[in-house]
Amino acid sequence: MLKLKGAGKIFSTQNGNTKALENVNLTVARGEFLSLVGPSGCGKTTVLNIIAGLEKTSSGKVYKEGREITGAGPDRIVMFQEPALFPWLKVIDNVEYGMKVAGLPKKERLERAMHYLKMVHLTRFAHYFIHELSGGMRQRVALSRALAMDSDILLMDEPFAALDSQTRSILHTELQQIWCATKKTVIFVTHNVEEAVLLADRVVVMAANPGRIKKEYRVRLARPREPEHAGLVRIVNQIMKELKEEVEKVARSEYDSGWTLQKSTFLLSPDSNVGGNI
Amino acid sequence: MWEGIFRTGLWPDFLFPSPLGVFSNIMEGFGDHSFIIAIGASMKRVVLGYSISLVVGLSLGLVIVASRFLDETLSPLLLGLQTLPSICWLPLAILWFGIGEDSIIFVVAVGSVFSISMATLGGVKNVPPIYLRVARTMGARGLKAYTSVVIPAALPTIITGMKQGWSFAWRALMAGELLSPKDGLGYILTLGRDLHDMNQVVGVMIIIVIIGLIIDKFVFGRVECSIRQRWGLNRA
Repeated sequence: MLKLKGAGKIFSTQNGNTKALENVNLTVARGEFLSLVGPSGCGKTTVLNIIAGLEKTSSGKVYKEGREITGAGPDRIVMFQEPALFPWLKVIDNVEYGMKVAGLPKKERLERAMHYLKMVHLTRFAHYFIHELSGGMRQRVALSRALAMDSDILLMDEPFAALDSQTRSILHTELQQIWCATKKTVIFVTHNVEEAVLLADRVVVMAANPGRIKKEYRVRLARPREPEHAGLVRIVNQIMKELKEEVEKVARSEYDSGWTLQKSTFLLSPDSNVGGNI
Repeated sequence: MWEGIFRTGLWPDFLFPSPLGVFSNIMEGFGDHSFIIAIGASMKRVVLGYSISLVVGLSLGLVIVASRFLDETLSPLLLGLQTLPSICWLPLAILWFGIGEDSIIFVVAVGSVFSISMATLGGVKNVPPIYLRVARTMGARGLKAYTSVVIPAALPTIITGMKQGWSFAWRALMAGELLSPKDGLGYILTLGRDLHDMNQVVGVMIIIVIIGLIIDKFVFGRVECSIRQRWGLNRA
């Protein structure tokens, strides 16, 4: 179980302090798939980095299984928006990297790496260099590298944001299957609401200025889920409505209050004569 | 064209040699093994000097980058010293080591050490932070993160610095050997000047350029190319 207690984060820059997070309380059960959505700048990545131990809280604490998190560690693997694979290593060595650091024997490393490469259907490319793969393949290698660590918690920071929609939907299906098979705790940060609802058991909507948790939605739909499913679309719409308010607020603050989102105005084309010449 | 200008006879042949003369001089030099011996002596010095500067330069760079204090204090100094032509070290070298083998090797080492350490420094500093974050979440920290991520990530820059260091070393060697007591390419060059044998001077110059090029292309070029290939930097 993962627990954030009153977590706050203040970034100090040359232009003063920014309150990135304020009083975030969040509990993630073991084996849960949780999505964090919110407008840009609401601190969802910061929450993830704090859980990963890559950033420290300014106030509040983070606990994993009752023990406080103080630094990064291989029990909480992060998958970043970019693949961040090491270009000097072959695909297979990249997947083995974490296990090598952990000091696993060569044979076991290779077996496990091949197992997880098989999960993302890339065994054929095991001895390729990173630059020889496409963007989607690279992200799949990154996924299998993260999975190969066999950590109980997987933190994903918009891992599919840079991919084209076809590749992304393939990876969505793969990720659902892998999650069902491994039952890891997954925290998935995204700005794509459909993606969040499609994948998660629970979607947490965050608000900005300062970053905080606004609302939670349970997604009780059977898996594997399809994006066209009516129940799914309904939840997506609910969340979208909630988010629209937030996005508007952020935009207004960025444009010095001189910005409004036009609502439900009729879009009329000026050369339409509405049948006047009958 | 060169031969044509020579034949106009504008300058006497001890100022402007003919290519044929230079060519026959090179052949002669190789024929009586004097060039081979000179090249051997020069190569020995440059290899020794360059190895010393590799070891010192790499460790200097790695040590400096590990500490913010050292970085702030020593980096400007290194940069300043890098702009100092290696021949300026010669008087100092002579006072420290006397005229001879040691001072030449010292000049070679000092000539290339700064560009190697600067490149190491720059390479390590420019390692994308995301690699380090990956390493940290994978459980690699301290020395392990350094050897498994930082150094390989900095390698292309370091190799470029080593290549540059090599050309500095080669130049420094020639400067140092002008004072050489007995052998080496630089020595033959000076000898040629002293004897007004312009054929020999130009011949040696050509050999110096060719050797410099060959090593640059075939040793460093190969290494650099294979690394770039690996990283996928060769594709436009």
